[in-house]
Amino acid sequence: MRIVLLFLAVILSTFGMPGSGVAGDTVKVGFVDTYTGPATTFTNDVLDGFKMAAEKINAKGGVLGKKITYVTRDDKFKPDIGLTMARELILNENVDLLVGTINSATALAISDLCRKEKVPFIVTFSKSDKITGEKGHRYVFGMNENTEMAGRATAKALAKMNFVKYWIAGDDYEYGHAIANGVFNHLKTLNPKVRLLGQSWWKVGETDFTPYITRILAAKPDFVIVATGGGGMVNFQKAAQSTGFNRKVPFYQHTAIELSTLMPQGPNAPEGVYGTANYLFYYPDTKENKAFVDEFRKTYNRYPKSGALYGYMTAQFIAGSFEKAGKIDREKFIDAMEGMTLPSPVGNMEMRACDHQVTLPMFFGVTKKSPKYDFLVASDVVSVPGMDYMPSCAEIAKARAK
Amino acid sequence: MDFAANLFSTGTLSQILVGLSRTTILFIVSSGMSLILGVLRIPNVAHGSLYMIGAFAAWTVIRFLGGGLFAFLAAMIVAPLLVAAIGFALERGFFSYLYEREHLMLLLLTFAFMLILGDLVKIVWGPEYRSVTVPPFFQGSAEIFGLPLPWYNLFLLLVGPCIAVFLWLVINRTNLGKIARAAAVDGEMVGAVGINVGWIFAFTFVLGSFLAGLGGALIAPMVNISLGMDHSLIMETFLIVIIGGLGNMWGALLGSLIFGLTQSLGILVWPQFGIAFPYLAAVAVLVVRPRGLLSSTW
Repeated sequence: MRIVLLFLAVILSTFGMPGSGVAGDTVKVGFVDTYTGPATTFTNDVLDGFKMAAEKINAKGGVLGKKITYVTRDDKFKPDIGLTMARELILNENVDLLVGTINSATALAISDLCRKEKVPFIVTFSKSDKITGEKGHRYVFGMNENTEMAGRATAKALAKMNFVKYWIAGDDYEYGHAIANGVFNHLKTLNPKVRLLGQSWWKVGETDFTPYITRILAAKPDFVIVATGGGGMVNFQKAAQSTGFNRKVPFYQHTAIELSTLMPQGPNAPEGVYGTANYLFYYPDTKENKAFVDEFRKTYNRYPKSGALYGYMTAQFIAGSFEKAGKIDREKFIDAMEGMTLPSPVGNMEMRACDHQVTLPMFFGVTKKSPKYDFLVASDVVSVPGMDYMPSCAEIAKARAK
Repeated sequence: MDFAANLFSTGTLSQILVGLSRTTILFIVSSGMSLILGVLRIPNVAHGSLYMIGAFAAWTVIRFLGGGLFAFLAAMIVAPLLVAAIGFALERGFFSYLYEREHLMLLLLTFAFMLILGDLVKIVWGPEYRSVTVPPFFQGSAEIFGLPLPWYNLFLLLVGPCIAVFLWLVINRTNLGKIARAAAVDGEMVGAVGINVGWIFAFTFVLGSFLAGLGGALIAPMVNISLGMDHSLIMETFLIVIIGGLGNMWGALLGSLIFGLTQSLGILVWPQFGIAFPYLAAVAVLVVRPRGLLSSTW
């Protein structure tokens, strides 16, 4: 029965997908990601960014004369399904490499499979620092920031401010704890004066934050690190707005300034929330970024979010690496990818050779109403260059040796 | 950790009020479930889905009418009515054929509807988050010893008792309510004296669904309306109904109070492990009174 169902699922999911070209004539990229449920807010941008870049590359004659094609598989946010899909793409679809997943557990599972199968795997949205950190290897690449990087970048920005008494609150799961620890541990080393008043952790999917907020206010901290992810981002901001929390005590959320958090709330999002993001469509105000935004809007009729940048650059790095390798070969692809630097809408991005982690800037800003858009944007944006907040190659080597 | 000092701090009163406003939502949803459980004997797993539909429907109504207090109030009426209509279709179209069969069949059917309704919501409203803001009239917050209590939470504190009184009137003062109570105790006997039990069941199910929809509509401005909001609620609601006494409406009120207050006070006393308190309370209640606090109709 299971086999029949699986068979049907595979058949159905291949409907309407491009990429049925004969192997050898194309560069075939296999996407495993979550294409149903709330995570699609992020994953669809990755795929659309990739599609946009791939079409442009194909229009110019492709890579080494071959067109870039892709197939997608929905992992439904479940690691076991994701792993099955990845295996199926490698064995049956003969993909040249794999891309994907927003779920860190799925990414780590596929990464392990790719190490054994010797297939390159580019991670596009998972935020666990283990992927290119302690669990990193030759076949896995990180195309976005991770909790460790976000933590360091934020700690750098917060260390310049005069807050002393901190409170940590967040979603009680790995991402929440990882981001909170990432920020606070680095902050403590940068500014030994800071101290932790207390912590509160709520279950993932908590709907009513009011009791937590009143509790935090009663403790009178100077600053609150709020470690929420996914749906918790908007939920917490709404609670902050209705309780006036943001006007009483400043707080930080990773991705608080991102479009995916601010746009659904329209003009009613809380002002003065500190946040970090890898991409803002209105910053930096450069020619490259403008061109990217215009093209994305023309193609999809919406503003690009961080995922669009990751997907777009994934296609660029794939094309660039195969071009440099001179042939469609997985091992040569990896050699070519290591250390490659490409221009991106936010400046040059380097695929660091030592850990296969892309170096990209992090934007730190604070939410503010905008006369130009009907949602809030980030103001006072500080750009933290990638090299300033990435763990060093020596630190990565130490983590991997463990 | 200085637990005692935390418990008698300036935050206690506002924490209790916040807990009570949470109790309101829990009570509205769990009383609907308890009602259906008591009279129809259906452990309605799809109850959470009805609550989710209520929230999504409220979003649609508020968007359609362009926001503001009027749109909000309209949503509070239209959304639960829509959910009640869905409940009516479910009861007459499906559940009513299975009353003679084993309870397990009914349980499976409600489980099936939880999945079906979840997917329907995805088809109708899409997989993205939806968000409505608190109507302008309720925006902002009152100050209690320097701590904020949103006006919307205070509004919920008013709604809760109104719903409780309304339910009490329906069940104790109307003929329909009296017959429903009788049907809960002995459905066969009620049928024997010439009353059409089927319609009593339909009425109860519709009322229960209405309450689920109302709960969803009321919580809509406070949360991210998203797929999956049904699952997180259904667990809590079941626990509340169980610790209160299966099918006993006042048990549902008591259970909601225990759940809402232990949560908010738990957060006050020990913020790091606040989420564990309601469940510990549920365990404690079940150890002392395994059949629930109040008498069960089962």
